[in-house]
Amino acid sequence: MALPSWTREPLVHFLIGGLLLFAFFAWRGQDVDLASRSIDISREQQARIALQFQQTMQRPPTDGELDVLVDQYVREEVLYREALRLGLNNDDAVIRKRMAQKMDYLAASSAETQQPSDATLQAWLAEHPARFAPDSRFSFDQLWFGEKPAAAAARARLEAGDSWQDLGQRIGLPPSLDDASRSDVTARFGSEFVANLEGAARGEWSGPVQSGFGFHLLRLRDAASGPVPPLAGIRGVVENDWRAETMAKRRDEAFRILRDSYHVTLEK
Amino acid sequence: MRKLVCSVAALALLAGCDGFDGPSKEAIGDGTGTVELAEFPERPLWGDTHLHTDNSFDAFGFGARLGPEDALRFASGEEVTSTTGIAAKLSRPLDFLVIADHAELLGGIRRLYDAPRVMIRDETMRKWYDMMHESPQGSQRAMSEIIAAAAANTLPAGMNNPEANAEAIAGVWTAHLDTLDRFNKPGAFTALAGYEYSLVPGGNNLHRVVVFRDGSEKTKQTIPFGWDGTDEANVSQLWDYMEGYEKATGGSVLAIPHNSNMSDGTMFELTKHDGGPMTAEYARRRAQHEPIVEATQIKGDSESHPFLSPNDEFASFGDVGWELGNLTDPSSKESGMFAGEYLREALKRGLTIEQQTGVNPYQFGMIGSTDSHTALATADEDNFFGKHTGNEPRGDRGNEAQNLGTRKGRFAWNYLAGGYAAVWARANTRAEIFDAMERREVYATTGPRMVVRLFAGFDFAENAFDGDWVRDGYTNGVPMGGSLVDEGKAPRFVVSALKDPEGANLDRVQIVKGWVDASGNTRERVYDIAWSDPANRLMSGGKLPAVGDTVDREKATYENSIGAPELNTVWTDPDYREGQNAFYYVRVLEIPTPRWTLFDAVRFGVELSAESAASSVSQERAYSSPVWLSSPKTGV
Repeated sequence: MALPSWTREPLVHFLIGGLLLFAFFAWRGQDVDLASRSIDISREQQARIALQFQQTMQRPPTDGELDVLVDQYVREEVLYREALRLGLNNDDAVIRKRMAQKMDYLAASSAETQQPSDATLQAWLAEHPARFAPDSRFSFDQLWFGEKPAAAAARARLEAGDSWQDLGQRIGLPPSLDDASRSDVTARFGSEFVANLEGAARGEWSGPVQSGFGFHLLRLRDAASGPVPPLAGIRGVVENDWRAETMAKRRDEAFRILRDSYHVTLEK
Repeated sequence: MRKLVCSVAALALLAGCDGFDGPSKEAIGDGTGTVELAEFPERPLWGDTHLHTDNSFDAFGFGARLGPEDALRFASGEEVTSTTGIAAKLSRPLDFLVIADHAELLGGIRRLYDAPRVMIRDETMRKWYDMMHESPQGSQRAMSEIIAAAAANTLPAGMNNPEANAEAIAGVWTAHLDTLDRFNKPGAFTALAGYEYSLVPGGNNLHRVVVFRDGSEKTKQTIPFGWDGTDEANVSQLWDYMEGYEKATGGSVLAIPHNSNMSDGTMFELTKHDGGPMTAEYARRRAQHEPIVEATQIKGDSESHPFLSPNDEFASFGDVGWELGNLTDPSSKESGMFAGEYLREALKRGLTIEQQTGVNPYQFGMIGSTDSHTALATADEDNFFGKHTGNEPRGDRGNEAQNLGTRKGRFAWNYLAGGYAAVWARANTRAEIFDAMERREVYATTGPRMVVRLFAGFDFAENAFDGDWVRDGYTNGVPMGGSLVDEGKAPRFVVSALKDPEGANLDRVQIVKGWVDASGNTRERVYDIAWSDPANRLMSGGKLPAVGDTVDREKATYENSIGAPELNTVWTDPDYREGQNAFYYVRVLEIPTPRWTLFDAVRFGVELSAESAASSVSQERAYSSPVWLSSPKTGV
């Protein structure tokens, strides 16, 4: 048998099996007869097996293929049950963590399905405006120089009235960008350049300023940091953000309540 | 039976969009028409096509507790807390992400894991959902009720949505696709749908990352296709699946092979997978479905190997450890296997097969990615969050023997910090990124974000860089990934490499050429075509002097006092022979910089093992996709 290492581990097989049944038991809240040796594959189950194949391969399985799929199902089922009989689901770190995670899911599930009111989201938006403000946008011109003295000399020529297009050394960077987002400028010029751009006065040449490429003279023509849009336009985004944080909060609260009823001692 | 099948399909719609007003219409599609397209790609979009989250069984097993949502937040630039409690943030956001959790996992736990309860607004649907999760008996009861409701035409409105009555399926995949849509922002950040097909017969790594072009309305009509665990399984089954998907949905999907370095020679064979002779049809399917290959990632670099390229002094990058064997047995390798594993050799094999069959199965472009199993797409050496949660940042992790699929011979310091995929797309949307991958206009880096342009043609001027050379390149030539038909004169290449604005300077730019000579043998040659400080670094005996080394081993720092911020050149192949099919790709080397192991050593005050210390500095690099030169006889 050739399998990737982790799927080849017998332990892993047993874990998957154990995990499945353990989860069902956790949901049911009662034990099932582990010794049951009868496996009944209903028509519905067979249809589900066939359908899963069809949804993957975009065609129904042949009779032969279906037989193989059913055989695989039976093999898994037998091994699950035997794994449980051997108690392989006990004291297993993966199962233990998975169950803990399911408890977290349960705790957060009310927040998952809850429909927040407009008022709730409006308050959320007011509380975290920076998360929903659009990226700043810049229009600017820049000249690049490998060495600082060359940049300083060019600055002097600019002030003497030379045309800016005639100055600057050649490099694969755009001399001008119009209405470019902050993230786009960062991707092309780096964070250091953007920090300089944000501090630049409008409409006049400044520099030399440094970037990861060397030295620049730059002229900020326009910068706009858009206002936070009204809730109606970004309701989905705000709702997602609210939901993610609320779920995390519910999980923590639920844990605290459970945790408070435990007494934990740590042997020194 | 027919009704039953319909009902099962309806069940799948439990996760449908009933009343959910989250993602916009733009976000759930492929992005076509949502963003203005540039005339030519203006800057490379950066991404990771190969990230695992806690939805991957092995990632989960190693302790990862961050899921797709955390992964997307992190990739788009937010700070998240890693599973081991460390604040994690990228120096700069990525432009796109493909979460590629193992299909095998998703299939296996789909019946177990919580489906996206968040999507279920209808009480009846939620009741059925809960019954399904209660027990096998509950599941069957739910099924009966649904069948009855379908027969009586009393299904909840959310399940009668005709769109929904397509083959959508509930579970992890559907939930995952909804999560992707929530984070997909055309023009700003793209979340592409994908998964990993983990074929690994006999321990030979034949994994593929599967990537979809489409939005969730199409991707919800399929579910991930996994390896069935048999030795008989083979990659043509994946191609069947892909063809089935494309035919049924009108969508598009591609597959990206990776870790060919651990396939024991089986990733790029001269034959079909079963040892039968390569046919034109088989070669065509391979090339059609697998247009790009992952050249570099955490588990090593597969561009070249010194055994295959003894004259290339930079051929051994990222080979150590991984070259010992396949994924599970790090002692299985024989030197005869290397030729089927490393990409440069595969490109050469492709030329040979094209000569024999008329079709080149290995006409692929190159990307890098991480294969991180932490949900954190980190590739920077000073910000490496590990292969998996077991080696997130902490002292001494670099010295440990690691047993991910191995039991001996490999150590954590063999891990690279991971690479990224650079994509020359005209806009940041699913469709544009996918299409750039299809036309191979992409390149690989080992983490740094250097900007690499390559145009090939016959008529470029020597002083091409004085003009609008990008427009000239697209108008009068082909970009990386393209093909030229031999016109009887030497091809000319316009090559530009710009350093990462937040990274190291560049040492040199090289062209790697592979070709088939007159007697039918494959050959290769590496040309240094542009380098820093040319006045003082003079070629001697065909060899360029090393750029130098500014790394302070005590402090894990380097200086950009050597190297160049940009290297450009127009290069003409001096060894061109008419009628010789060839490929040309660009390799860009940075100056030496500290590896993640050295950053760790300084940060945590640990001593590196002798072997680890010996490789604590490296020259990071980029590999462009090739351009092919084909004689008119064989066509392009």
